[in-house]
Amino acid sequence: MKLRLSGKIIASFSLIIIFSFISFGVNLKLSSDVNRDTEYLTKSEAIIRNSAKIHKSILEMQSNFRGYLLTENKSFLDPYYSSIKEMSGLVDEQRKLISDSPAQVARFNDIQILHNQWLKYANALIEAKFKQIDPKIISSEYEMLFEQKLRKEFGKKMTDEISNKFKEFDKTEYRVRKGRRAKLSESIAIAKQVTMLLAIITISVGVLSAFYITHIIIKRIKSMVVLADNISKGRFETIVDIEKDELSQLSDSLNVMSEKLKKSFSELDNYAYVVSHDLKVPLRGIYNLAHWMEEDYGNELSPEMHKYLDKLKGRVERMESLINGLLEYSKIGRTSQPLEEVNMNELLADIIDSTVPEDFEVRLSNNLPVIFTERLRIQQVFSNLISNAVKYKGNKSGLITITSKEVPDGFEFTVEDNGVGISPEYHNKIFGLFQTLREKHEVESTGIGLSIVKKIIEDNKGSIRVVSNEGEGASFIFKWPAIKVVMPV
Amino acid sequence: MKEISILLIEDDELDVISFERALKKINLPIILYTAFNGIEALELLRGKQRISIPDIIVLDLNMPKMNGGEFLAELRKDSTFNDVKIFIMTTSNEDRDRSRGDEFGVTGYIIKPLNFNENTKRNVSMDNFMHFQIMKMVGDQLN
Repeated sequence: MKLRLSGKIIASFSLIIIFSFISFGVNLKLSSDVNRDTEYLTKSEAIIRNSAKIHKSILEMQSNFRGYLLTENKSFLDPYYSSIKEMSGLVDEQRKLISDSPAQVARFNDIQILHNQWLKYANALIEAKFKQIDPKIISSEYEMLFEQKLRKEFGKKMTDEISNKFKEFDKTEYRVRKGRRAKLSESIAIAKQVTMLLAIITISVGVLSAFYITHIIIKRIKSMVVLADNISKGRFETIVDIEKDELSQLSDSLNVMSEKLKKSFSELDNYAYVVSHDLKVPLRGIYNLAHWMEEDYGNELSPEMHKYLDKLKGRVERMESLINGLLEYSKIGRTSQPLEEVNMNELLADIIDSTVPEDFEVRLSNNLPVIFTERLRIQQVFSNLISNAVKYKGNKSGLITITSKEVPDGFEFTVEDNGVGISPEYHNKIFGLFQTLREKHEVESTGIGLSIVKKIIEDNKGSIRVVSNEGEGASFIFKWPAIKVVMPV
Repeated sequence: MKEISILLIEDDELDVISFERALKKINLPIILYTAFNGIEALELLRGKQRISIPDIIVLDLNMPKMNGGEFLAELRKDSTFNDVKIFIMTTSNEDRDRSRGDEFGVTGYIIKPLNFNENTKRNVSMDNFMHFQIMKMVGDQLN
């Protein structure tokens, strides 16, 4: 089964949430264990505390009882009786606390039985003592009891037995408390470990799924970025998408776009060919007709007609130049040229050879580089700039100076002439399509050359500017990003 | 001197005129037949009032009714025309058209100049071009 992108995202979130719930549940269980063990421990401690209190009360009763018998001072009896009252509350509480341990209940019962026996014995003696010291009553009951019980250490045996029973009870409870304390610290340790483990698992699952999802999304997007980049460079490819998820729509659209662009670009190429062919054929016909009229009827034509035929031919040639220029202009940026090693010195020498007349002087700087670039494009730029320099020659003898300077990412070239120059108000205009500062009858000046130059340079991510004043020549300075080729020494 | 016959199949009237003007200047015994498309040419070659088999056929590719390629396909069905030298003369410089010509075993592929700007600079008029091409075509026949 193939999960779509949102499915994957939801699945990983659900996984994290499930893990969070599991750790929440486990923590709840563990903390209730800890609570329970804490409660047990507290209970044990309360039992021990109560036991001590009860024992203490009993001991106090015993000592008060003895004190009274010895001193016959009734003040000993007040705490004796209040202890009895006090005890009943403590005993009830203790019974509740130990109710879940039958062994301790049995011990406690023993203690209570013994204590009750002792109370009976003590109460009998106290009553006898009352009678003995009451002058109105003559009784030998005390003496009798004294001889029968006290002298035979009847009471002491009982109190010793109670103390022993208490020792036994406390010892047992100490043991219980120790066990419960160990259990509490154990459950705390388990809670700590399990919580830590679950947190680590949850965090790992979260981090891993985040990485996974980021990875798959980035992978998909990257392929599309590459495609878009290729499209912008005129390579109309498509990407194969086997994922079929939410991003497929985007990649499908990109593919469709690429194909449509490819189609319309080929249509445009076809259109350009049709324009160049079908517009030029009738033009050539007109030109031929004018030529034949001159050739065949030259003698019969008036000078005026010769002049008009010349102008006709001139306009037809201009029309052809316009068509050629437009074609050239429309091709820039659509067809990418191969990058190759270009020796600027040789390239410029070739251009100068074919475009600059003999009466011009051309100065080339001696540090012209060898660069790695599109040969045709840099050649078009220099051809246009140099032929402009030739076209707009001034009154002085023509001089063209070409220099280069290394700048970050490329070179800055300058083509300087001493021709007619351009007034600053036209500096922005001259790079526009069909903008020429010459009159319309000029054959060569179609106003497209500098537009081509600018478009080529900007297509190559460079820039061009002009420095000129009317009558002072012109300098065209352009930046041409390119890699310098270092020649081996 | 042996007479040479040429059949020019060309839809552009001005190119036909240019061809005729060039022939006139050459002043050789050449008979020219012209057709404006493939159908007219086939009529001339196979119709009731047919001409004798020409030595040379000069053929434009882009023509109405029946273009150069279709004409060649039709012509190659009949072996009687196997010895005719065929020259394609077109403005198309496309590889597709060139290889089509090679398939049909044409003798030459001539590209008509479109940029007369450059031609006038070099003082090459259409007539001069035709003149040069005709001389090349008939050169073998004369020797």
